[in-house]
Amino acid sequence: MRPFTFTSANNKDQALQASTATSYYLAGGTNLVDLMKEDVERPDQLIDVNKLDYKEITSNENGGLTLGAMLSNSETANNKEVRMKYPLLSMAMLSAATAQIRNMASNGGNLLQRTRCPYFFETSMPCNKREPGSGCGALKGMNAQHAIFGYSDHCIATHPSDMCVALAAIGAIVEVQKPNGASRMIEFTDFHSLPGDQPEKDNTLMQGELITAIHLGKPEFSDHYYYLKIRERSSYAFALISVAAGLQLKDGVIKKIGLAMGGVAHKPWKLTKAEDFLIGKKPTEENFEEAAELAMKDAKPFEGNKYKIQMGKNAIVRALTQAFEREV
Amino acid sequence: MTKTINASGVGNAIDRVEGHLKVMGKAKYATEFPIENKVYAQGINSTIAKGEIVSIDTSEAEKLEGVLKVITYKNAEKLKSFDEDMPTLATDSIAPVLQSNKVHYYGEYVGFVVAETFEQAQYAARLVKYEYKKDPSAVIDFDKSRSKAYKPKEDANYSRGNLEKGLAEANEVVEHTYNTPIEHQHPMELHAAIVNWENGKVTAYASQQIVEDAIIAISGTFQIPKKDVRVIAAFVGGGFGSKLNLERHVIMAVMASKMVGRPVQVTVTRTQMFTNTSLRQHNEQKLQVGAKKDGTLTALSHEILSHTSTTQEFQEPCGMVSRMLYNVANAKVTQRLIPMNIQTPFSMRAPGEATGSFALESAMDEMAWKLKMDPLEFRIKNDTQTDLHEKRPFSSRLLVECLRIGADKFGWKDRKSEPRANKNGNWLIGYGVSAASRNSPYKETHAKVKLELVEDKVHATLQMDATDIGTGSYTIIAQTVSEYLKIPVKQVTVELGDSDFPVTPGSGGSWGAASYCNGARAACENAIKTLKKNRSIAEDEEMAVSELLKKNQLTNFEAEGMAEPSAEFENYSIFSFGANFSEVWVDKDTGMYKIKRMVNVGAAGKILNPKTAYGQIIGGLTMGAGMAIAEQTRVEPNFGNFITRSFADYHVPVNLDMANIDVIFLPEEDKIANKMGIKGIGELGITSVAASIANAIFNATGKRMRDLPITPEKLIEAGLEPGVTA
Repeated sequence: MRPFTFTSANNKDQALQASTATSYYLAGGTNLVDLMKEDVERPDQLIDVNKLDYKEITSNENGGLTLGAMLSNSETANNKEVRMKYPLLSMAMLSAATAQIRNMASNGGNLLQRTRCPYFFETSMPCNKREPGSGCGALKGMNAQHAIFGYSDHCIATHPSDMCVALAAIGAIVEVQKPNGASRMIEFTDFHSLPGDQPEKDNTLMQGELITAIHLGKPEFSDHYYYLKIRERSSYAFALISVAAGLQLKDGVIKKIGLAMGGVAHKPWKLTKAEDFLIGKKPTEENFEEAAELAMKDAKPFEGNKYKIQMGKNAIVRALTQAFEREV
Repeated sequence: MTKTINASGVGNAIDRVEGHLKVMGKAKYATEFPIENKVYAQGINSTIAKGEIVSIDTSEAEKLEGVLKVITYKNAEKLKSFDEDMPTLATDSIAPVLQSNKVHYYGEYVGFVVAETFEQAQYAARLVKYEYKKDPSAVIDFDKSRSKAYKPKEDANYSRGNLEKGLAEANEVVEHTYNTPIEHQHPMELHAAIVNWENGKVTAYASQQIVEDAIIAISGTFQIPKKDVRVIAAFVGGGFGSKLNLERHVIMAVMASKMVGRPVQVTVTRTQMFTNTSLRQHNEQKLQVGAKKDGTLTALSHEILSHTSTTQEFQEPCGMVSRMLYNVANAKVTQRLIPMNIQTPFSMRAPGEATGSFALESAMDEMAWKLKMDPLEFRIKNDTQTDLHEKRPFSSRLLVECLRIGADKFGWKDRKSEPRANKNGNWLIGYGVSAASRNSPYKETHAKVKLELVEDKVHATLQMDATDIGTGSYTIIAQTVSEYLKIPVKQVTVELGDSDFPVTPGSGGSWGAASYCNGARAACENAIKTLKKNRSIAEDEEMAVSELLKKNQLTNFEAEGMAEPSAEFENYSIFSFGANFSEVWVDKDTGMYKIKRMVNVGAAGKILNPKTAYGQIIGGLTMGAGMAIAEQTRVEPNFGNFITRSFADYHVPVNLDMANIDVIFLPEEDKIANKMGIKGIGELGITSVAASIANAIFNATGKRMRDLPITPEKLIEAGLEPGVTA
């Protein structure tokens, strides 16, 4: 590791004041510390925000819950209110990483996880995300784990989070504190960005901004939900493809739907076309299959990840079917 | 062996005698010895696959606080170089390092930093700047380099009978290619050492499987007398073959200690474990099997294409199983190697058997399907009590019994012979079987026993340079001493892993248990024999060892012993045998699957301690499941580095992946193997596990998975075999 300064912030203001262009806030550190050991991240200052508040789950005015950014993934996923109101979120969060990592990882930090693209991790290889202008090694290299939607010539990496796929499906607002102390609200689907020609940016956070809360709306998918994660082993493996599916049914038809996919893009990928198609339709296998076809129509795979097309279709149908059939 | 009423002697399921030391943190692994004044070394790795170092800038690193030395090819000690081109890598090979500006593979050591602290060394290593001239002729893509394949020095071609004739006699022929990827051994304990060079003498606390060969490697590399090198490996946190030979970090540490005049500690990082220790090579195996309608095998061909490094040769013997397992008169095994710019491969648990059995036992299953025969009966029909390869009988071979008893225990009769016939919701359920075999070597072993009479009780201390790589060597050796001296195991102390102790072959190749225990037996038997002889007591007279010491008027007594294979040993083939059964549930849409149950039956001679033996088999089955499910090291085709560089992306099974496991040992008496009737067990457990899982997946899905690992993406893309009904 390279030398750095460690600043312990006792409150929000101290944290915001200490922040510079080359500093990072340190919460659980489950991703950041790894990247520092790998020499990928080289901050000159870490600002420890573990003493800050933001460790509660409260009811908000929308009839939903607000999740403190500093609460651990385990505490959040196992919280009784979260499990009752947003079981899809809980299910997705519990499929992530390992129990040990979930105990350390914070909610705010989960949103800021960096890609697990191997070219990003190996400093001797080209990677525009790590070193802008150095090229994308994965484009003509090993791209089995990479994007099929929304990528650019500069970057084909995927976002690794499970939690964020569920958040994209159910909808959320991310609250951040600006360096001047004011707060800013960001729609979840606008929080992460596509790579474009600035793949070094994973999201729309501005310099020095600190995530403090995730606001969830009125629960809509507490009866019919499923998070399907296809992976190479049963734990501690990132999704090849994941699907978060939430359904609200009325009179035998789909009234509301939240559908998002992980492992396919630079951000959690909302399957809007499939959602639009299914609204007002019956939850039948045929409709689910047609929705899956629609969802995957725009996918453009690479040499190594062609399997994601069929796997994606199968995953959408399975997640929707499981969500529909789930007995509550 | 005399019968014993001793509850802690051989064959008893006692707890590990070294267990409490481990849970108390008192078992000392290589870098846990409290060596004063030690400094730390950190290796620097090349970032090209082939080429030359053009320039090195050490100035920034040397300026750092705590940095004592930056060692590169420019200031390194001159070491012994290889005497020939492409020597075969062996367990006692020299390991020269930093001898030129040439780079042979990505990650090769190009320098070392020595500093006062671990952190300083790590940081300084990053500040050494290298400029390279890349050689575009680097061979890093296996598929594009087939034309470079050559015949290795050993075992390039084997044949018996007439393959063409055998194929002509066959009613059915199966011909397919199977691939097993590069894998890494990855013991939990990283390769590590603390080394001190003092007045031309070397002491190395090193995580090594074979102490004696480590000494040979160090003395050979530095051209110093063997007697001036001492290696201590009291506890080793796993090896799986990667610690059989001495890797270059130990040589670097010796050199560093000599240069800075202080003890040097070096730890190979987990990422360096991929590039700076050995690996299991990628094997492309083409199998051709011919059989008559009634299931009689007529022909078997096994062609292996693999790779070695550009400097040393190694080939794991994938074809061994095809040479000896079945009764087939016409057989051919060939091996070819592509020299690649990847480090030299070496042994990984059950080298040859683990990978070769995947190909052979998959092909056997394919033939059974073609013949519409029960794959279990097909194997039994082709059993043999003669090793057709060595043209000699097996000392004992209970393969058929393993298969029959396993089938009964597993419920094999419930297997549906048609694939996709057993369904449960979204799950397709399949059963698979495979036969396992593993050579059971036994080697010359020396031991010393020290007896001490304290208040009528004899305490025995047994010393040998054997290692315990986590398998329970301490325990089974203690049980052997308990058995032959007829004293409880709590009066036995075992001291291992020090080259000052009598020489053993070390741990590896499944020879440890048989060699160590027979060595300990010989020492104990010698002690008793001598004590009796001195007082003219008849050899067959029963007398407690405490009485013997009293009769000799001794409170302390020492004896040495040596055990070695008998003359008869060479007239037989000595193998352990086993059978694997797996039940696998495959999700019809996602390609994910669960191994629900595994039954393993083994016939491996005398089971010294059912607990440690069970642990060996469970470990083997888990590693075999890892081969099937997930393990693979991927080489980047444009740069030549491994893109799997930590346990986050080199996937080994997690608990949730593992099945309910049933392990059964068949009682087996084999006095030809050695006096105690011990056969190896450390590698039997991994052998053919992957095939039993792949065969179960075929039975479940009708998809034949010939490339390991069997991942969801491969299962989704695979089509049904011809003849399978959807």
